[in-house]
Amino acid sequence: MAAGSTAPPLDPGLKRPWGAITAFLLPAFTIYMALTAYPAVRTLWNSFHEVLPRRETFLGLANYGELVADDIFWKSVANTFIWACASPLIEVTVALLLALALYAKVPGARFFRVAWFTPVLMSYIVVGILWAWIYNYDWGPINVVLRTLGLGGWTRPWLGDPDTALPALIFVTSWMWVGFNMVVLLAALHSLPKEVIEAAELDNCGWGGKLVFVILPMIRATVLNLVVLSFIGKMKIFDLVWITTKGNPLWSTETVSTYVYKRAFEWSTFDLGYPSTIATVWFVIVLAAVLGLTWLFRLREKLEY
Amino acid sequence: MTVLKRSIVLLLLTGYTLFAAGPFLWAAMMSLRTTTEIHLDHFAFPDPIHWDKYPDAWFNSNYDTYFANSAQVVVAAVIIVTVIGAMAAHCLARYRFRYNRLIYFVLFSTIIFPPQITIISLFQIMVQYGLYNTKVGLVLVYVAIQLPLTIYILESFFARIPSDLFDAARVDGYSDWEIFWRVAFPIAVPAVATTIILNFILLWNEFLFAVVLITDEANRTLPLGIQRFIGDTQEDIGMIATGLMIAIIPVIVIYAFFSEKLIQGMTAGAVK
Amino acid sequence: MARVTLQELTKVYDRNHAPAAERVSLEIGDEEFMVLLGPSGCGKTTTLRMIAGLESITSGTLSIDGAVMNQVPAKDRDIAMVFQSYALYPHMTVKQNLAFGLKRRSVDRQEVARRVAAVAEILELSPLLRRKPHALSGGQRQRVALGRAIVRDPKVFLFDEPLSNLDAALRVSTRSEIAALHRRLGATMIYVTHDQVEAMTLGTRICIMNGGKVMQVGRPLEVYHRPVNTFVAGFLGNPPMNLLPALVTDDVGGRTLAVGDSRLTLPSERMPPSAPGRQVTFGIRPENVALRAPADGKAVQVAGEVTQLEALGAETMVAVALPTVSAPITARIAGDAALAVGQRCTLHLDLAASRLFDEDGTALNPSHQGGGP
Repeated sequence: MAAGSTAPPLDPGLKRPWGAITAFLLPAFTIYMALTAYPAVRTLWNSFHEVLPRRETFLGLANYGELVADDIFWKSVANTFIWACASPLIEVTVALLLALALYAKVPGARFFRVAWFTPVLMSYIVVGILWAWIYNYDWGPINVVLRTLGLGGWTRPWLGDPDTALPALIFVTSWMWVGFNMVVLLAALHSLPKEVIEAAELDNCGWGGKLVFVILPMIRATVLNLVVLSFIGKMKIFDLVWITTKGNPLWSTETVSTYVYKRAFEWSTFDLGYPSTIATVWFVIVLAAVLGLTWLFRLREKLEY
Repeated sequence: MTVLKRSIVLLLLTGYTLFAAGPFLWAAMMSLRTTTEIHLDHFAFPDPIHWDKYPDAWFNSNYDTYFANSAQVVVAAVIIVTVIGAMAAHCLARYRFRYNRLIYFVLFSTIIFPPQITIISLFQIMVQYGLYNTKVGLVLVYVAIQLPLTIYILESFFARIPSDLFDAARVDGYSDWEIFWRVAFPIAVPAVATTIILNFILLWNEFLFAVVLITDEANRTLPLGIQRFIGDTQEDIGMIATGLMIAIIPVIVIYAFFSEKLIQGMTAGAVK
Repeated sequence: MARVTLQELTKVYDRNHAPAAERVSLEIGDEEFMVLLGPSGCGKTTTLRMIAGLESITSGTLSIDGAVMNQVPAKDRDIAMVFQSYALYPHMTVKQNLAFGLKRRSVDRQEVARRVAAVAEILELSPLLRRKPHALSGGQRQRVALGRAIVRDPKVFLFDEPLSNLDAALRVSTRSEIAALHRRLGATMIYVTHDQVEAMTLGTRICIMNGGKVMQVGRPLEVYHRPVNTFVAGFLGNPPMNLLPALVTDDVGGRTLAVGDSRLTLPSERMPPSAPGRQVTFGIRPENVALRAPADGKAVQVAGEVTQLEALGAETMVAVALPTVSAPITARIAGDAALAVGQRCTLHLDLAASRLFDEDGTALNPSHQGGGP
């Protein structure tokens, strides 16, 4: 066969079914453009303006200047970050312990799994009301138990005390999400090759040793995923605060979400510009935090392997 | 494991189960008692059982309206988001074209967006187009917020369907559009079911967008209704508990039937 | 039915790499069973997919019955294809799978039912019509895949390694089923495989491909006996043709070869006159190498030492190392031959059935009509 020495021609490719591709993507794309992309851009635009119902005035960076000096904003940022950093630690640790307990072939594992997952299916509204009752000063089960134990001095209005309100709410989200994390970790544990764990047993590895040297490194990716997921979730938190404390007392539970809502729809300033500025800055902070977190985890992975 | 060790573990697990489920059981008990009874003893079993509190809350506290609104909005949004999400996911999984991955990434990355970045403008837009305070407007917004997750879950499923099946259907004479509806979509039913159940639960519980976009009593969804109900009845704990149970029951029923599917859906994003 | 013509079909996936198929030209006649044979990555499946319309054609022309098909979408080419993975629709019953391709073609319902029933009858699928693919065995799935193609009554059947997922016994029976189908339907079929037994038994003609190019096209025995190059010679046959390096010497009018220490004088029709000192490759099939001298006494003897024995029962493959020849020579001998590894023996080469290849691998005596079996 005479091999052609000329450059091979460009392949025309199958005629791309552009009609079908467009038809498939168009509805999703339209929704995305109209109700996600456009609003996001408009928020950015708002952030440079004073936006009143019938008047929009260009302010340049004035809103941003105000934001820098806004103590409530920074308080809410601090609260949200405390929440977003504490939650993953608590949730994943407790969930891991529970998952290990279930992994050790306990009777009724399926039932426990289904039962523990329940709280995450409830709305924050329902959960918030329930826990507002649980934290109730007069008849909430926590104070009732404390009084019964003779620890009446420890009782307090858990959600009304600036010192305990935020930890109390963090505790609620942990209660909600531990089951979820547990189920994911349990699935990860079950997908581990049995041989490896058996091999560790033969190497005379105790339970603790197995956990630290064998199991944890192998489910590392799942754990990190859960941490990021929990972090993102808490950065968005709104409903629970709104239904329980509305950011009170003394801004001690104010999150960025509730603050934006208040500035946009509760305070009678009617200005949507300043809250848009908060939203924009917050968007950048969340994005940076999430990217930073994933980058950090990736980096460590590279160092270790 | 020794018997002793085993029982300790079992005890701990049972304890945690009580901790996880206790609040619901407590609310369930209170939902069947009157507020007066509750104030006498907050932790007693219902005696007598006041079943009539449910119809009372349903008819006299507007729960029928809230429930109907929630059902309409959520069902409509779930249907729409499933169809257009599946179409987009199929397209992104199946066709190779320029910017395919870019489009996927752009759609998917909105999962991490804080809702504040869109909510204020969405309020403006809805007002501007007369969709503020309407169920239609809320449905559209719900479709938009659930779209990324839906596409994410379905894309990975569609990508696993062997391309031979599509080739076979093409040779069998079907167009791209027909192949989606008659081959890809039916095969993806398990994944589609997962997203339907997941989206249903998440939207059934949705509060932030509802509270911003709906103010009319006639259009309130359940979470808004509950919030409003608390404001109205203040300390009528008994009735609030009944209301909570009404809101929870559909979720519990779905969970009872589809617990595995639901767990699958909720955890889809977390498992690698 | 249909004639399929490939004119210099070329497929380039990536301009920095060699084409997946390069200038493939092939004329497949009506009712012919053409087998595309070659090792994996030789471009046979790419060629088939271009015919099906599942891959674009970079250059060249594909026509069916004279009509150019390059731009015609797969669905309008009136071809049916059986996939290696069967590609049965998992959410449909066997019956729905069979009917799926017909519904599209506006065949009326009764006709669909009639044809599905007829095909199910032929393939013994009737009791399975209500089952879904996951409830079928591998062989049954394979038959459904066949049935889905047959029921369409297409112009051309394409098969992409349809037997490779079956176990050995099933493969043999399905192979004869496909052969019977071809006789019965009298349809044009194009069949891709890497299995030479399938190719030899099924094909009216075989097209052997390598590196994206067509090496040789011909009837099975023609290709077997008259390979046009060392690739074909080494690919066909089990074990394949012995290929030994040889040097043309100046004895007997330049028709004598030096293979190791042996001097082989080939019959004139087996070897064109060559300049002495030319490097060539001497090829001879194992069945043309014997332990005993043939009746006509024409064979040439070489001696060597047995290095390997593979007793297969009816026959034995024996590898014999010839002095100063790098590769051993394999002989196919009777199963009861008494030999042992390390033993010295004499082999008789039937030079009338030998082949000679140039240094670049092409055959030196292509005009010769091969000695039949």
